Amino acid sequence: MAEKILAIENICKSFGGLLATNDVSFNVNKGEILGIIGPNGAGKSTVFNLITGFYPIDSGSITYKDQRIDGLTPDKICHLGITRTFQVAKPFPGLTIADNILVACLPKAAKVSDARAKVDEVLKIVSLDKKADVLGADLTTLERKRLELGKALATNPEILLLDEVMTGLKPKEMDDMMDLIRELKKTKTIVIVEHVMRVIMNISDRIIVLDHGQKIAEGLPKEIAENNAVIEAYLGRGAKKDA
Amino acid sequence: MGILALVLLVVYFLPLTVFARHILVLTLFYAFMGTGWNLMCGYAGRLSLGHAAFVAVGAYTSLLLFSHFSLTPWIGMIAGGLVAVVVMMLIAYPSFRFGLIGPYFTLASIAVAEIVHYLLIYGRDLTGGSLGMSLPYVKETTIINSLINLQFDGKEPYYLVILGFWLVGLLVTWKMERTRYYLEAIREDQDAAAALGISVNKNLIIAACISAFMVAIGGTFYVQYFRYIDPYSIAGFTLSLNMALVAVIGGSGTLFGPTIGAFLLIPLTEILRMTLGAQIPGLHLFLYGILLVVCIIFLPKGIASLPGIIRAKKAKNDQKPENQASKGVL
Amino acid sequence: MLLQIIASGLLLGGIYALVSVGLNLIFGVIKIVNLAHGDFLMMAMYGTFFLYTVQGINPYVSTLIIFPAFVLIGVLIFRLIIKPLLGKAETEVNTIIATAGLGFVLQNLALMLWKSDFRAIETNLTGKSYEFAGIMLSAGRTWAFVVCVAVAVLLYYILMKTKVGTHVRAVSQDTEAATLMGINVNKIYTLTFAFGIALVGLAGVILTPTFYVYPTVGLYFNTMAFIIVVLGGLGSFTGALIGGLIIGLIESFAGVMASAELAQVFSLLIFLIILFVRPQGIMGKSARV
Repeated sequence: MAEKILAIENICKSFGGLLATNDVSFNVNKGEILGIIGPNGAGKSTVFNLITGFYPIDSGSITYKDQRIDGLTPDKICHLGITRTFQVAKPFPGLTIADNILVACLPKAAKVSDARAKVDEVLKIVSLDKKADVLGADLTTLERKRLELGKALATNPEILLLDEVMTGLKPKEMDDMMDLIRELKKTKTIVIVEHVMRVIMNISDRIIVLDHGQKIAEGLPKEIAENNAVIEAYLGRGAKKDA
Repeated sequence: MGILALVLLVVYFLPLTVFARHILVLTLFYAFMGTGWNLMCGYAGRLSLGHAAFVAVGAYTSLLLFSHFSLTPWIGMIAGGLVAVVVMMLIAYPSFRFGLIGPYFTLASIAVAEIVHYLLIYGRDLTGGSLGMSLPYVKETTIINSLINLQFDGKEPYYLVILGFWLVGLLVTWKMERTRYYLEAIREDQDAAAALGISVNKNLIIAACISAFMVAIGGTFYVQYFRYIDPYSIAGFTLSLNMALVAVIGGSGTLFGPTIGAFLLIPLTEILRMTLGAQIPGLHLFLYGILLVVCIIFLPKGIASLPGIIRAKKAKNDQKPENQASKGVL
Repeated sequence: MLLQIIASGLLLGGIYALVSVGLNLIFGVIKIVNLAHGDFLMMAMYGTFFLYTVQGINPYVSTLIIFPAFVLIGVLIFRLIIKPLLGKAETEVNTIIATAGLGFVLQNLALMLWKSDFRAIETNLTGKSYEFAGIMLSAGRTWAFVVCVAVAVLLYYILMKTKVGTHVRAVSQDTEAATLMGINVNKIYTLTFAFGIALVGLAGVILTPTFYVYPTVGLYFNTMAFIIVVLGGLGSFTGALIGGLIIGLIESFAGVMASAELAQVFSLLIFLIILFVRPQGIMGKSARV
């Protein structure tokens, strides 16, 4: 029996009149990779924004290790051990890569020198150690994605929420990134939102599917691939007859 | 920093003219003010063009306490600093709470300074209105007496006082290493900073309050040195702009930027004023403005960024990647 | 009495609106704060003053000289100062500081050339008032108000009905999308800036018969113009008009009820509150920047 580390129960969120997240519930188990998929606008990123406190939820509850975290601010949630990356990578453009990582290490470091000592280690994990003095603004897409991951890792999270880390990468780069994520799985719990099916089917232990803000399926990658509702959501209403 | 302080201390013993001493006092004054401004506006990137509001609050508070209750300006400046912090909280909390950034924050800061300006004129029964207030002169009897009243007959003691202020200002900024990194992250990307566990509002408010406190103390020094203040000179746009300028020209968001800016701009303005001001009023400020515009266009990150730019050019020419980890902004 | 206060307030508001329209245009389209706005107004007022006192040209006729001259000045300033700063890191901060420096230059240029004296011209409208149903309306301000309404209508027509206007609106809403649609953003920016400066030049011309001219007159109008632009909403011309009228009314009333300083404080407080709770202004529709 897997140990439940994060429980999302019946969360709702609407913007204006639009229901972006509608009564979504799911659990995240310790040490797993949970994939979240769904068509454009299904509300995947919104779920991340709700878990990490960037938007307040309208109703429902989010519980992390027996503690309610809905209503907390993003920085508090990060301190508890949940860190996210952003779909559009957000490097600090005016800071060097080393300082980008340093800033991420600082909130959990007792002293600035402790944080500084950690920077090289993180840079090596995401293969940016040769770019330490480059400014955040001057990175390639791959490097930005790596830095985004590196910053999240620097906060030493228990749960890592990865928002489309593969977008814009070449197939070879994707393979490298997948290897990296599998490596991370050894010590962390990972929730990953992804568009690229090959990736998500490959690395996820479990998958949930969102469509129009609702959860329409949950299961093993194999089950999801054969699920009619999922195929319908992706290919449109007419697809069912042919499937 | 220590060497610089030592050099400036040696300068104290040089036989300088009164005018030269005056320039030095003014330069250090603006270096100190710019350092205070820099904490919130440089590191955190919230551009305030209304910091004169806090200078005025500090100046009038200590002056009123001195002229009505003979309270020593040393305590008066702490009181003024605290009042400035309260005023800053009134504006900073809603600003950061409602996510006021970019030009909107700047406009709000200008409005606050204008409000303080008009209130000072309105409260003419207490503040003397637009005619301003003079510092009651206390005749120098003993050194202790002068020190307590922070009033001296020569310029030399003021030089030592402002040198001390400036050093403490630099030291405070330097000691806040962690906060400085947080503020830079917040300036670069607020959401990304929050996602990494940095409390955006808390750090912004800390920076804003320390910044207001520092320039308010500078306000008290202004009163003691010039012995006269009026709303136009101490709550006006020019003072706000000057604080911003020394920091921006020198390099905002760097420890020594404001000091570099002050040492470049203030002597230049004062000498221009001395040589040209009498014949053609306005010419020195006209040139000053042009210099500023040119600086912003060609060196938008200030003089402190020059070594970095040169190094980057060199690195490009040499084609040798540098692998050394950055030692942070110092 | 009440009607008199309202009428004076509305006239004053119309003038304020006219002063702020150019600022609104530049702020709304290029997204930069032009802190030298009031100083361009001051320069136009001096221009009008000297065209009248030296050449004997009627202030209202000098529009024909000032307006095109300010278009040229606008193009020049945009090319020299604004354009080099656009699209770089910290554009917002740097343009604010650069235009503040420009304002400083203009103020001190005026001080050098014309000293700090207060100057005023007398035209055949000076001191005259129109009486309308028992309400006295200052002739100069009435004409200023009329010009303001005409400019607002014309500007609205240009922005809404012409091709250039459509392009300007497109650029103001989404620079990237506009570029993709083949709109020359740089050209639109230059045009907008030049036109914005020319509009404040026009305002300067219209103001000269009823206001004193001195080197720092721009500072007063600057604050007012910013309040109105934020109050009414960025890029909303109806908003600027309404914002101007509201501030005019507030000043008119507070001037009678309390003191001039409190009137200013009151306007500024409203400005701050609007900034906090509704930065898009009363009429603006764009979201928080």
